[in-house]
Amino acid sequence: MEINDLVYQSAIIIIGLTAVCASLGVILCSSPIYSALYLIGNMVCLAMLYLLYHAEFIAAVQIIVYAGAVMILFLFIIALLGGKKELQEHTLQRTIAFGFAGLLFGELLLAATVGVTKPIEGIFDPVNLKVIGGAKAIGLTLYSKHLVPFELASILLLVATIGVICLAKFPLKQIKKSLNS
Amino acid sequence: MGNEFVLIISASIFCIGATGFLIRKNPLVMFMSLELMLNAVNFLLVGYSHFLKSLDGQIFALIVMTVAAAEVVVGLGIILTIFRTRHELNVDEIDALKG
Repeated sequence: MEINDLVYQSAIIIIGLTAVCASLGVILCSSPIYSALYLIGNMVCLAMLYLLYHAEFIAAVQIIVYAGAVMILFLFIIALLGGKKELQEHTLQRTIAFGFAGLLFGELLLAATVGVTKPIEGIFDPVNLKVIGGAKAIGLTLYSKHLVPFELASILLLVATIGVICLAKFPLKQIKKSLNS
Repeated sequence: MGNEFVLIISASIFCIGATGFLIRKNPLVMFMSLELMLNAVNFLLVGYSHFLKSLDGQIFALIVMTVAAAEVVVGLGIILTIFRTRHELNVDEIDALKG
């Protein structure tokens, strides 16, 4: 039991640090295609962390929706628009941005370590905890307690679909011209 | 060890994403930094759902993923349209709306 707990904790630490390194790779690579690949690595690391925190359904959704669908879309767009390298020169704005981010990180760390962050006991007992992250428990909660956000999310997806069709379509005249010629 | 680790990792990924959004000039990489920030928040929600033994955080993470997917699709559509009209992918050059 002791060894198991040690392995569990060290796995969480190693995967968390890998996720941070992968996210550093996203913003430091000058070619967008490498950034996208690092982002896939980061998302897979986060999915593994979700698995370790007993959130199996969210881990599956993370892999399918994020690392699958969204990143495929990104890679298609990069392949379409040409992933040109951008040269990274040091300007004043860049220094200000780094200072701002450092300040933000310090503030977040301060808020996280000084404030009251002790876990509060929830409504689920440890026996029940084993089945929490599964699809059944999520579905039961989603369709009873959180029904309204769920329906609103479906409307949001519909609006996004119609909006992106309106945005990305060619003008009708152009299509007719290309068909006639 | 435990919830502090989740807070620190999540804060680092969020700050890295914010830095990337500020320092990069390619709109695609800026969108990826945005995804990083959303992922950091998702990780915090799922981790705390584990520590508080409640499912609400996971439901919230699911909704955030839906919003992120919709946002990425619309944003990439806008980037594609801008590229089609201007043949330019540098956010410093795309300033036609500037006063």
